[in-house]
Amino acid sequence: MFKDLDALLHNQLRLSIISILISVDSADFSHLLEKTGATKGNLSVQINKLKDAGYISVKKSFRKNYPLTTCKMTPKGVTAFENYVDAISAYLKKPSE
Amino acid sequence: METKLTNEESLGIIHQMIATSKNNLKDNSFFFLLWGWLVLAASLSHFVLLQLQWSYAFLPWPILMNLGVIISIVAGYRMGKKTKVMSHIDKMMIYLWYGFLAVILILISMALLGRLNWITVYPTIIVLYGLGTFVSGGVLKFKPLILGGIACWLIAITAFFVQPQYVLLLTALSIIMAYLIPGYLLKSKS
Repeated sequence: MFKDLDALLHNQLRLSIISILISVDSADFSHLLEKTGATKGNLSVQINKLKDAGYISVKKSFRKNYPLTTCKMTPKGVTAFENYVDAISAYLKKPSE
Repeated sequence: METKLTNEESLGIIHQMIATSKNNLKDNSFFFLLWGWLVLAASLSHFVLLQLQWSYAFLPWPILMNLGVIISIVAGYRMGKKTKVMSHIDKMMIYLWYGFLAVILILISMALLGRLNWITVYPTIIVLYGLGTFVSGGVLKFKPLILGGIACWLIAITAFFVQPQYVLLLTALSIIMAYLIPGYLLKSKS
């Protein structure tokens, strides 16, 4: 039996966001925008989904009068990512379906 | 619409995103150069003023060190405003050097209160910034800083045994080895 893949992480943009955040302490919206190459609207939607699931924490503040959104992994998100990577590895070890 | 991902694509995304975050080593040389020059100026001018037998020969220290703290706070605040991403290394460096600042302040306060002897405080501080430099070199994977840290410890051991005024010259030497040389090498690299 295979583990089910976490549907929330099994999405290109959300997985990209999580993969960036897992390797840093925190990153702001413009950094994620630059690294993922996504559109602002889409990025913002996916960040909210991850936040609602409790995978990342989002802090809103201001920098020179512009809104600043800083994202950071939560312990729950780290566990979810680890489980996702384990599940993917399990699939890849199996030679064929 | 959500596009379906294959497992290979998933792994590819993870690899690619982690790789782009990894090469984010920032130019950390500013603080090393700032403190390197300030400590060098303070220790050498203290030494010269002692030779001139001025009774306030220590005065370059409070002036230059407070100046350094002010510049560091302003520069740190400005850099913090500009950075879009904080790596684990950045965070570790901040805690390491703030912790170092706290330890130095405790030592200096105790010396001012007469609980510690100034002659031993100087080499102790050299030992401690040797530690900070050594750890920084390790996490930044930058050998000149690691070697600079080790040099500090050797110089500090010597400093415990020499005449007090020569401790100032050893302090100057240690800061050249631990901050200035690695600082300029770090700057030229990035």
